Amino acid sequence: MSAKANGLGRWYVIAAPYLWLLIFFLIPFFIVFKLSLSDVATAIPPYTPTFSWSEGIGKFISQLDFENYTFIFGDPLYVNAYLSSLKIALISTFLTLLVAYPMAYGMARAPKSWQPTLMMLVILPFWTSFLIRIYAWIAILKPEGFLSIFLIKLGIISEPLQIMNTTTAVYIGIVYSYLPFMILPLYASLEKINPSLLEAAQDLGSRPWRAFWQVTFPLSLPGVFAGCLLVFIPAVGEFVIPDLLGGSDTLMIGKTLWNEFFNNRDWPLASAVAVLLLLVLIIPIVIFQRQQEKVREAGR
Amino acid sequence: MQNFRDALMAVVTAGNPQANHASSQRAGPRTAAPQSGFAPWKNPSLSPIVRFEGITKRFDDFVAVNDVTLDIYEKEFFALLGPSGCGKSTLLRMLAGFERPTQGKTIVAGQDITDLPPYQRPVNMMFQSYALFPHMTVEGNIGFGLRQEGMPKNKIAERVDEAMSMLELRQFAKRKPNQLSGGQQQRVALARAIAKKPRIVLLDEPLGALDKKLRQQAQFELMRIQETTGTTFIIVTHDQEEAMTVASRIAVMEKGVLVQVATPGDIYENPKTRYIAGFIGDVNIFEGTVAAIGDGCIEINAKDGYQFKTRSSEPVTVGQQVWLALRPEKIRIAHEQPASAINAIPGKVEDIGYLGSISHYHVRTAPGERITALRANAAHTVERPISWEDSVWLDWPVDAGVVLTG
Repeated sequence: MSAKANGLGRWYVIAAPYLWLLIFFLIPFFIVFKLSLSDVATAIPPYTPTFSWSEGIGKFISQLDFENYTFIFGDPLYVNAYLSSLKIALISTFLTLLVAYPMAYGMARAPKSWQPTLMMLVILPFWTSFLIRIYAWIAILKPEGFLSIFLIKLGIISEPLQIMNTTTAVYIGIVYSYLPFMILPLYASLEKINPSLLEAAQDLGSRPWRAFWQVTFPLSLPGVFAGCLLVFIPAVGEFVIPDLLGGSDTLMIGKTLWNEFFNNRDWPLASAVAVLLLLVLIIPIVIFQRQQEKVREAGR
Repeated sequence: MQNFRDALMAVVTAGNPQANHASSQRAGPRTAAPQSGFAPWKNPSLSPIVRFEGITKRFDDFVAVNDVTLDIYEKEFFALLGPSGCGKSTLLRMLAGFERPTQGKTIVAGQDITDLPPYQRPVNMMFQSYALFPHMTVEGNIGFGLRQEGMPKNKIAERVDEAMSMLELRQFAKRKPNQLSGGQQQRVALARAIAKKPRIVLLDEPLGALDKKLRQQAQFELMRIQETTGTTFIIVTHDQEEAMTVASRIAVMEKGVLVQVATPGDIYENPKTRYIAGFIGDVNIFEGTVAAIGDGCIEINAKDGYQFKTRSSEPVTVGQQVWLALRPEKIRIAHEQPASAINAIPGKVEDIGYLGSISHYHVRTAPGERITALRANAAHTVERPISWEDSVWLDWPVDAGVVLTG
């Protein structure tokens, strides 16, 4: 009797996340997917066919096609936007890793009593709106902005910097915005490393720098993987940063998607772009899952 | 070999850690000085492999190690013994180079290494937590130190294989540390520490994580490895039985200070202080004052009215406060009053601790003192000749006790 009740309770608990995924991910995804198979129309909503009970499901399905997908693959604009997004995301993920690793390492090595404060400082920027922080970067990076004025005052440069509205500004924006997502998993894995492992490495004749590459870095790889994914995946679809900081030559798929939706009002094509973006991003996610599995198997 | 080990272990488990077996066992296979036994510390022409010179280590106001001067000789199995927090691990870590002494010098093989970083020292350490690299296989772990030297690959494989076969680890070569049992991990850690053939191997509580049976096996394994490799081993332990079993000499530390450095036998039979007497083995201690001194013996008026006579080389004066330390196995227990009245006290058996091979008898004397005597259960019988509530006599010869002044 009570066993049965327990079983039911367990079922509810397990069902909750699946229900959540069904309602907030799978159903919206299928709506978007269905949209991507439709055609654009001058109507409200701006696509056709729309489902009606009188005409039946058969007719509705017969009007769906993969036209939008063939269009995307046929037009180099979209392919280039995907490739350029992946490139920008890859480079900025790598840059974020370079900036975040020493910070996370410093945090993990700091006295235990400092660590909560340092952690607080890392997540402090989240207390301000993301948009405001990006606008702040405009004030810093623009030719008459703080950075140029500062460097000119120091005599390092004589002409104002032309960073604003370039891909460089996009890199700066992405690295800055996603830094905490890289630092936190790195810190978590670095902090777990037993300090006596480094002592052992040194004791066996390894200089500190070699000990880092032979022991610390390999043991922090799970954190590196997690951090890189947390930065890479949203960076690929990033829209706000390239829109505000990037120039007309900064081609990113998020911006393309926005244009299709709001400027061209071509919802079906925009949906097809979104579905393909999801497919592209599934690849790194699967790699990540594999990696996690390996880590779990290794028992660490 | 197995029988021999079991026999040795039986002696240890008998709760009678008389160091004789360890030191005599030790003396046999030594090649250094086969006639006189292994005792390089008695040979003034030998220079020590490790010399601590006035080593002091302070952490803020806490003095972890206080002015320690100590010589350790080649091929010794040296034990640093003491309770936790006595500074023994700090001393070892200073030898490994993980801590810098606040004062003093560390000299290894005639070279001052006080300022050398750990990776340039001719010592390798086996860590208490083993500190095995979790992302490397057993082979990878053991070969780690050799790879740092830039040794050619085939040479590394050879040396790793040698260390693995010495510790019976061959079949685990490809496993990761977390796929090994505690005992196997311990052997990997030891193999890694000896793989570079260092002049000195440091062992920081190496067997602390093992259960008792495994620990005893591992102790004999340590001794075997130490003897076959001819390396100097320095072990830190809080387990006096372990120190007695493995060590050629023991340094007992208390609150950062060296209290006594001697062979296990000496430490057991001639402890310098009450602290050492109590720390190593069981002991009965009588407090009293010196009543008379004569012909190599002194008479002691014990606090609770007894008069004891005991041999003593300790320079004492009449009226001085002393303590008489008596090991339980040196006290005879019997029903009949002994013929000689010297060192004989009557009492009543209060408790018996039956351990199979031996029994502990806790005897309450008339003034209320509790004395422990030990008796081997030599006869093959379940009934014991002495039982609870029996009136018994305890006595011991004049050379059984040790007079302590501190």
